[in-house]
Amino acid sequence: MKLTRRNFLAWAGLGAVGAVACEGFGIREGELNIQSPVQLPEDLVRGKDNWYASLCRTCPSCEGIVIRVMEGRAKMIQGNPFYPTNQGKIHARCESGLQSLYHPDRISSPMQRSGARSSAQFLPISWQPNGMDLLQTALQERGRSSVMITEPLRGHMGLLASRFSSAIGGEHLGFESIDNNTYRAAVKSVYGQDSMPDFDLENSQFILSFGADFLSTWVSPTRFNRGYGEFRQGEHRKRGMFYQIDSRFSMTAANADKWLPIKPGWEGHLALSLAQVIIAEGLQAPGVDVASLTGGDNLDNFRPELIVEKAGLTAEMTDGNAVEFVKNLARSFATSRPAVAIGGGSAGASSNGLFNLEAIYALNYLVGSVGEEGGVKLNPGSPWTDVPSSSKVGSLEDWTRITEQIRSGQTNLLLLHGADPVHGLPDSLHLRNAIEQADDLMIVSFSPFLDDTSAMADLILPDRVSLEDWGDDISEPGPGFQMVGFQQPVVNPLGDLDPLSFPDVLLTMAQELGKESQLPWSNFKNMLREGSDALFELNRGSIEASSAEEFWNNLLKRGGWWDENSTGSKYVQPTAGLLKSIAGKASDPDFSGIGMDTDSFYLVPFAHNTLMDGYNSHLPWLQSAPDPLSTVTWQTWVEVNDQTADRLELKEGDILRIESSKDFIKAVVYPTPAAPPNVMSVPFGQGRKHGSDYATDRSSNESSNVMDILETTQVEGTGSLAWAGTRVKVSKTGESVSISKLEGDARAVEIGLTPAEDIIKTIAPENA
Amino acid sequence: MMPSRKLLPLMVAGGVVTVIMGFVLVVLLISWFSNPPFGLGNAPAQPVAFPHTVHVADNNIQCEFCHRNVTKGASATVPAVETCLFCHQNIDGGSADSQVEIQKVRDAFDTDTPINWERVHRLPDHVRFIHEAHIRYFTDDDIPVKYGINGEELAETPDVALTCTICHGDVGNKVEVQPKTGQSLKMGTCLDCHRNNSVPTDCTVCHK
Repeated sequence: MKLTRRNFLAWAGLGAVGAVACEGFGIREGELNIQSPVQLPEDLVRGKDNWYASLCRTCPSCEGIVIRVMEGRAKMIQGNPFYPTNQGKIHARCESGLQSLYHPDRISSPMQRSGARSSAQFLPISWQPNGMDLLQTALQERGRSSVMITEPLRGHMGLLASRFSSAIGGEHLGFESIDNNTYRAAVKSVYGQDSMPDFDLENSQFILSFGADFLSTWVSPTRFNRGYGEFRQGEHRKRGMFYQIDSRFSMTAANADKWLPIKPGWEGHLALSLAQVIIAEGLQAPGVDVASLTGGDNLDNFRPELIVEKAGLTAEMTDGNAVEFVKNLARSFATSRPAVAIGGGSAGASSNGLFNLEAIYALNYLVGSVGEEGGVKLNPGSPWTDVPSSSKVGSLEDWTRITEQIRSGQTNLLLLHGADPVHGLPDSLHLRNAIEQADDLMIVSFSPFLDDTSAMADLILPDRVSLEDWGDDISEPGPGFQMVGFQQPVVNPLGDLDPLSFPDVLLTMAQELGKESQLPWSNFKNMLREGSDALFELNRGSIEASSAEEFWNNLLKRGGWWDENSTGSKYVQPTAGLLKSIAGKASDPDFSGIGMDTDSFYLVPFAHNTLMDGYNSHLPWLQSAPDPLSTVTWQTWVEVNDQTADRLELKEGDILRIESSKDFIKAVVYPTPAAPPNVMSVPFGQGRKHGSDYATDRSSNESSNVMDILETTQVEGTGSLAWAGTRVKVSKTGESVSISKLEGDARAVEIGLTPAEDIIKTIAPENA
Repeated sequence: MMPSRKLLPLMVAGGVVTVIMGFVLVVLLISWFSNPPFGLGNAPAQPVAFPHTVHVADNNIQCEFCHRNVTKGASATVPAVETCLFCHQNIDGGSADSQVEIQKVRDAFDTDTPINWERVHRLPDHVRFIHEAHIRYFTDDDIPVKYGINGEELAETPDVALTCTICHGDVGNKVEVQPKTGQSLKMGTCLDCHRNNSVPTDCTVCHK
C-alpha cells in the first residue's frame, strides 16, 4: 500500500487509539499492593475509625468530647453525649483542638535561649541530657524562690502542681486574664460554697442576668446554652422570660426579651433596688424569713426612685418611666417562679464588683431559688479527699506582688504552663519590664507554642497537647452532682515532634530531687489510675465494674465518672442580716485615670467569643470564626454607637485611637445602634507580639491588646483586676482599613425603617 | 493485485471496524475468563516468601491472629510487621532460606519500612464485601442449613478457619497463596451463593 499522507495519518490515529485503550485496560504498578504497616495499634486498621472519649482543654470549662481517630490520626472532635455538663454539645473552641495537634508552629523540641531576652531567639537542644539537666539544676538552685504559673488547674493536675511547688519550696498560682475570683468570693460569701454553682435554666421561668455573657463566654456557655434552649423551646412548658442587664449588647443580651443597658458598675445598686421592691410589696417566696435576711434594714436607700438615674436608666430605654419599669421588673421576677438571678462578667469587674455580685446572688434567697429546681444548684466537692475541685487563681494583687518579687530578685525562677501573663496582664503592671531587667531570673516554659511570655524564656520544654496526653478534671461548675472527667491520649505526636508530658516531667524531676515522699508516682498515668481505683472503692456512681481494671477501662470508655445521687446542698441558710451586710458594702464604682470628663467614654472590654482572653489566638479556626454579633474576624474592633460615630465623624473601618491614662491602642471602628452612646467596647484576645503568624501578622491598627490600656484598679475585697473600670478618650487617626466581617451592608437600623410587611412576604394558603 | 481505487476506502473502513470489534471481543473474553483481568490464577511474586504451611498447618496459628480484622470489619487486613515480630523477635527459622526471609521482616521493622504485599484476591472497586458478615453467617449455629460457594450443602457449622476456605481454598496448606483452583469470584457466583442460602440479593447489598 502506498504510504500517502492520508494513510499515514489514519494509521497513526488508529495506533494512538489502540495504545491508549490498551494502557487503560492495564493495571498500574502498585494497584494490587496491600501494605503491612510497621506498627499496628488497634486504631491503625485501614478504613476503620475509632472514637475515644476525652476532655477538651481549649477553654476552662473542660467539656467532654469524643475524638474520631483513623489510622492513628485524630480527624474530628464532637461532644460526648454521656458527659453530664455538655451532654453531647460542644463549643466551637473545642473543635480547634485538632488545630493545636497539627499546628505548623508547634515547638518541635526543647529549646534554649540564644539571644537577648525578648529577642525570641532559641537554639534546639535535646531532652537528655541538656533539657532535663538544665531544669534539674534550676530547680535545685532556685526552687525555693520559684513561682509556677499555670492555667487554672483542678483534679489530679491541680494536686500535682501544688504538691510539686510545695516540695521544692516554691509557690503555685493559676492564671486567668479575666479571673473569676470575684464571682467565687461572692458565691462563698452569699451561699457559703467553695465551688461555683450551676444554674437550672432548663426549669426556670425567669432569668435575670447582670453582665454575665453566659451564652457565649461566661464560665460554662455550652452547658448554659443547652439549658437556655429548653428554657425557650422545651416541650410541655411555657416559654420563659429573660432580662439581661448589661452595659454591652452581648450575644446573651441579643437573646434576651429585654436588654437594659446599665451604666457600668451600678448593677449591685439595681439588684438591691429590686430587692427593696420585693420586700416592700411582700413578694418574697413563701417561707423566706425577710426579717432575718434584711437584719432590720428595709433597703430604703435603694428605692428605685434613688437608683435609676445613677444607674443610667432613662425613660427612653424603659418604656417611658424608669422607676415603674424597675418596679415591674421586680414584680415579674418575684412572681414568675422559679426565677434565677445570675451575675458575672463586667458586673463583677468594677471596683465595687464584689458588692454587685453579692447583691445579685442574694436576690435568689428572696425568690426561694437557692438549691431549688429552676434556680441555683449548689455543687458538691471533690469525690477524693485531697484532690481539688476548684482552681486556685491569682488576683491582680498576687500578680502585682510577684512582679515586685521578680524586680527585687526575691523570685528568680518562673515555671510557666498554659499561661501567658505578659500578654494577659495590664501593661501598666510592667511585668515585661520587670522580667527584662531581672538579671538573675530564669524562666522555664512548658508551652507547646511560642507566646509573649515564652518568648522571654531561657528554656522551653514543649508539652504534649491535650489529645496526646493524660488528664482529668472535676467540672466547675458541675451539673449539681459529683463528677469527674478523664482525658486520655488518643494519638501519638507526629514523627517530627518531640514533646514530653508536663506532669510526667514534674514527676521525673520529683524523683531526681528526692521528693518521692510527697510525689510517689512514677508517671501521671499511674497517679490517675490510683484516683480511678479510689473511685472504684467508693462503690457508687455511673461506672459498674467487678474489678479495678474493668472500672479503669470503662471509665476511659465513658469519658468520666459521676454520681447523680451525690448532690450539693439542697438548702442553704442565709446568714442573718445578709442584705444589710451587703448594703453596707455599697459603693460607687471607681473610674480613676482620666476621670469622668464628658468627652470620655466607659471602656467595657469583653471576652472574645472564640479567642477568649487570647491564649488560643494562634489557632486560625478561632481567628476566622466570626463574632456572633459583629461578624468581625481576625481584627480588634471597637463597638461604637452609630450616633456617637456620626458625631465623631467615624465610619466603619476607620482606625480609632483609644487612650486611657496608661497608654493607647488602636482598633477598627464598628458602628452599631446596639452600643450604648457612652460606652466603647473592645474584645480581649488579639495583639500578641510573639508566636505563630496567625496571632501576630497584623499591624497594631488591626490587632491590639486592650489589656495594654486598662487601669490597674482592683476589685475591693478580692484584689482582682477591675477590667471594666477604665474610662478612655478616643480620637481619629485618619487611617482606615477594610473591616474583616461576614455581615452584609444592610444594617439593622436601615431594615428597621422598612415596614415589616415589606420584608416578610406571606403566601396565601391557596397559593402555597 | 492492487485493489481498485473505489474499493480501497471500503477495505480501510472494514479493517478499522474489524480491529475495534476484535479488541472489544478480546477484552470481553479476558474479563469473563479471568478475575481480575490479567494474571488471575497465578501466585504473584511476594516481597517476603511467607509459607502459610508453616504457620497454619504446622503451628496451628489461627487465621484471625494475623488477619485481625476479619471477624470485625470489612477488610481482613494483612498483619503489621510488628505482629510478625511478636514471634520472630525470638524465632529464627529452621533453614537458611527461612532465616533470610525472617531477616527481611526484622529489617522492615528496624527501618520503619512497610511491606508491600501483592494482593491475591480482588473484587472490583464497585463491590463492597464485608468479611465479618460472611464469617458471622457461616459460623452461626442457629442457622440449620448452609450452602457453600458452589452450592454444596455444608455438613456442619464451620469454624472461622473452615469458613475462610469456602472462598479462599485451603490456604493453610499452600506455600504460596493463590486463588482457589477453578473458583470463580464473579457476580454470578455471589448471587448463586446468596440465593442458595436465602440471604438478600438486592443490588445495594453488594454494590456501592
